[in-house]
This record gives sequence, C-alpha cells and structure tokens, in this order.
Amino acid sequence: MTNLIDAGIEAALSKLYDRYSRTVFGVGSNILGDRSLAEELVQEVFLKVWRSSHTFDPSRGSFSTWLYRVTRSVALDLYRKRAHRLRPVPDGDSHMAIIRDSSAGPQEIVDQSWLSWRVSRALEMLDARHREVIELAYFGGLSQREISERTGVPLGTVKTRTASAYKSLRKELAFRDTSRKVIQ
Amino acid sequence: MKCVQVHPKLAAFVLGGLEPGETSKVQRHLASCSGCRRELEELRKVNRALELAPPPAPPPAYLKGEILSRVRAEEASLSSREESEEPYHLEERGRSARVPRFSRFKELRIILPTMAAAAVVAIVALGVFIGFLREEAPVATIRLVPSPQEATGLKGYWGVAEIRPQPAGNQQVELKLNNFDEPKPNSYYELWFVSGEKRISAGSFTSVGKGETRVLLNVPPEARNYRTLLVTEEQADSATALSQEVALKGEMP
Repeated sequence: MTNLIDAGIEAALSKLYDRYSRTVFGVGSNILGDRSLAEELVQEVFLKVWRSSHTFDPSRGSFSTWLYRVTRSVALDLYRKRAHRLRPVPDGDSHMAIIRDSSAGPQEIVDQSWLSWRVSRALEMLDARHREVIELAYFGGLSQREISERTGVPLGTVKTRTASAYKSLRKELAFRDTSRKVIQ
Repeated sequence: MKCVQVHPKLAAFVLGGLEPGETSKVQRHLASCSGCRRELEELRKVNRALELAPPPAPPPAYLKGEILSRVRAEEASLSSREESEEPYHLEERGRSARVPRFSRFKELRIILPTMAAAAVVAIVALGVFIGFLREEAPVATIRLVPSPQEATGLKGYWGVAEIRPQPAGNQQVELKLNNFDEPKPNSYYELWFVSGEKRISAGSFTSVGKGETRVLLNVPPEARNYRTLLVTEEQADSATALSQEVALKGEMP
C-alpha cells in the first residue's frame, strides 16, 4: 500500500512537471536572466508545489494561476538573494530586453512576466505539430517552405498548421487581461 | 486573390514566411480589403505577444529525477518523524507548513483533475491519474540486465521495465530495480530508448542502492519503435557529450 501511495504521489508530481516545467523554466529564465538560477527555480517551485499543495484553492483561480504565483514568489526570493549573480542582457536578445528594462526593479520585472507566462502556456497548449511550426517560424525564423523541407511535411499542411496555431493562440490569449486581479 | 484565399495565408504573412510572389499578392489584396486588414491586425497582436514568450527550451532532463528524489527523501524523513511523535492534531495547530503526508497526497491528487478541467482535458487527465493508481497490467515487461562492465558489482540484482500506454500516446515506463547501486557522487542515471544510432531519453533518476528502487518515467510516442533500453550513468555537471557508460540493458520482446 505504501508503495502504491508513493507511486501515486510521484505520478501526480511527475504529471504536473511534464505539463508545466517548460513554462516555469522559460519564464524563470526571463525573470532571472541566468540558466542555472532558472534550474534552481524549477526545483524550488515544484518542491513548493509538493509542500504547499494544500494552499491551492480551485475556487480562487486556476492551477496555472496558482503555479504562476508560486513561481513569482520563488523567483523574487532568488532574485533578491542572488542579484549580484545576474548577467547583463545580451545584445539583440529581444526577450530579455523587454523584460529587463533598465528602469524596472525586480518587482516590476516579475510582474511583467505574467504575460510571458500566459504566452508560454498558450504555446504549451498547442499540440506538438502546431507548436513545432510556430517554434520553427517565429523562433527559428524559417519560411513556410523551409519548414516544409526541414520537417518533411507538405507545404500546404505547414501553412494550414501555421494558420490554425495562430487562431488557437489568438483565442487563448484573447488580448484582455481579466486574470490580473486574481494574481495580485 | 479573394479573402478566402488570403485568410489562411495571413499568419504566415505576419511571420514573414511566404514566398516573395505570394507576399506581393497578399499585399495587393490587403491594400483594397479592410476586412482582411482588420484580421491582419489581430494576428499582429499574436506576434507582439510572442515577443514575450520565453525561448522554447526545456529544463535539463536530470532536474525531474532530482526533484522526485528530494520529495522521496522528505517523505521518508516525514514518515520517520511521524512514527516517533504524538498524533498530529491538525485542528489545534491550524494549517501550518507541516501537513500529514496522507493529506498532502490527497491535495496533490486534487490538483490534477482540477487543472485538467480548466484545460478541458479533465477526462483524459483523470483517466491517466486513475490509471497510475490502478496499476494496470503492463503491455510489455523488459528484463534489464547489467552490462558486462558492471556485472560483477551487482550481486543479487534484478530489474525490469514495465511499459504502459497512456491516453495521449505517451508510454509510461516503470522501473523496478533491486539492489541497484546508487550513482556515483554528482551523477545520476538516465533511461534511454535506443534504435541504431538514435536515442530518446525517458528521463533521469537515482537509486536507493540496497533494496528496491521504483521509478516512473515517460517517453513520447516516437519511442514506440525503439526496441533497446539502456540505463546510463551521467555526470550532473558535464557539458560534454552523453555518457557511454551503460549500467543496464534490455531488449523489447
């Protein structure tokens, strides 16, 4: 029985990790600007999820929103403790440049990450085939034809997937931040 | 070009991914069509939002195993403390950070179906989770044997990998290893599905050494035709190529 329960705990945490670790890691990298700190953040966030799961109240918001709050809290702690270890923003890194505006303090930087979180979650909710075309097109800078050649997927299908992915992202993001009051 | 032909191309147009000839045709249409221009503006908002997306990089594979190991260690520590203490009165002490392990278990279980409902995948997620608890019969059981280099150091060893399909096409792999040595300091084990020169990682883990180690890992559907399983020992701080140090090996029946 104990083995079964232990397996259940691990399975639940494992499932949560599979679903959210890329977002926690990605948003953490944006906030902290340091890959090793972001790795530390991922560890601390999921351990905190495990230790503090009783504080999650589904009537107050979604699990994703709760997890963002946990991530934000841990990121702020790490930011304050290790501020001296932050690296400068690399030239031309638009992601970092937006988040790490020189006028923004740690709180502001972290607050701006809510949209980053939502975009990341919207991308993660795409199925793998649609996410792939967006990653190759947007982050990889490939044309539709180049994506077709790279993946072996017919050009028409690449175009359809791109259009469909944008439609899903548009719907998911909805361009109104109704959840902001929940996370304050 | 008509609107019905332009609409499916607008996302690629916004991304700058159309061929030059196609781009010109779309631009000509946009110049005379306010409806498509409005649609274009909506898609540009998606593009602007994507500027805030974190780079699409997953965390390193070993992290998951490390987190689960720490949870296991905390669980063990909590269990031993609970056995040596008076019964814990939750009502008297309030909801402090110290929560009985069975309560934690229940709460963690609640999270999955709740968030899944929000994500409109409740049935699938619940099915997956219940599936974990039910311990369904595996579709394949692979015997893992020590590779020649390690054979002498693993007396009394046995190990199997049980594979169970998951609703999303993933495969869950449960490793049951007996008397499998702990990894060396600053190292961890990694399970691979191998086909020829290609390999897919199923994740990383550690071992308790003496006694039974049970680990749950997952591999994507693409690993279905990878018939060889390898457990390698990897260095946590290594930035070099993957380790060739195979500790265990198994072949699909």
